[in-house]
Amino acid sequence: MATKRESDYDDEDDNDDNVYINEETELGHGNVLVQRAPEERIVPPLNFCPVERHLYRSGQPSPVNFAFLLDLNLKTIIWLANEEPQDTLLEFCDKHEIQLQFATINPDGGEDDNPWDGLTEHSIINALQTIVRADNYPLLVCCGMGRHRTGTVIGCLRRIMGWNLASVSEEYRRFTGSRGGRILVELLIEAFDTHLVEIESDKAPQWLLTALQ
Amino acid sequence: MPYIPPLSFAPVVSTDVSLYRSGYPMPLNYAFIRDQLHLKTVIYVGDKDVSEEYQTFLNEQNIAYHHLHVDSCRDSDFSRHVDAVLRLVLDKRNYPILIHSNKGKHRVGVVVGIIRKLLQGWSTTGIYQEYGNFSGGSKGEVDLEFITMFETELIVKRDLIPDYVKTRKKS
Repeated sequence: MATKRESDYDDEDDNDDNVYINEETELGHGNVLVQRAPEERIVPPLNFCPVERHLYRSGQPSPVNFAFLLDLNLKTIIWLANEEPQDTLLEFCDKHEIQLQFATINPDGGEDDNPWDGLTEHSIINALQTIVRADNYPLLVCCGMGRHRTGTVIGCLRRIMGWNLASVSEEYRRFTGSRGGRILVELLIEAFDTHLVEIESDKAPQWLLTALQ
Repeated sequence: MPYIPPLSFAPVVSTDVSLYRSGYPMPLNYAFIRDQLHLKTVIYVGDKDVSEEYQTFLNEQNIAYHHLHVDSCRDSDFSRHVDAVLRLVLDKRNYPILIHSNKGKHRVGVVVGIIRKLLQGWSTTGIYQEYGNFSGGSKGEVDLEFITMFETELIVKRDLIPDYVKTRKKS
């Protein structure tokens, strides 16, 4: 159902009244009529939200979200889980040359690993090391539901940015659904040693440098 | 001194331009807004009068301030106010923009939902989920219905529209 709107418009040039060119200003100064939602809609992944410029968070994208993801022009997706994401996502990344980075929760856990285990410090740093480099952008951080693991990494990023803890927790809880936040995740974020992430000022995104000033 | 973003703060659009949402900024949030957001425009969708210290802050920072006096989307003239917001966000000269209400839940949720729908073409479920994340699970059937039913008729200049807005590519 979700195809890109531009191509849709090309097919419906004649009967589409969403947009018109003002006859008085034909010299390229067009006017646009904003009226209603387009016929074809794009579907954001579960718990999708922008975090900073060209940085996004969400749950695991499925094929219904691919048109939406294409609009983001992603260069990198960080996937926070021990298991691989769905094949469809792997194929999607392959086809559109999106770098898919696995930040396994607990590399030594093997099959005994529980999906509800928190992230290890190692994997948080691993993900953040990718996030603090501008050449990986635009970038999406995701896990199964976009709640706790994604929330842990974004929470630690906010700590690096100098946010106060209550605000970090508020943001984390916003995406945790009806069961609310986990104290363990908030403790992990609070205890995270922000100095463990190496930030090179000539390679960091501008918003991060602004936050660190 | 840590930075304290306003209540329910989040980016709405973070691509070619920056559009943010939040609750009513308090003095303890001013440092964050001043140092991190570099706003050009603030749109307040709400019923309170602007406080003196907030007015002073906005003046000092040279931020254009637009106050739309509304209580909720049940107001008969809410559509007119939404049109006013849309006109501002459809002009890229106004960015970075912060849209806020009092708690950053319902009124901002409606405005953001309409931006998602009309300007970005988000699906209805995606819009509902985002509304729900920010309203903290409190039901807003009237708000959601308002978003779903909202239509308008605005004529704006094409070359002022920010890139994230989806318009037909026609030369």
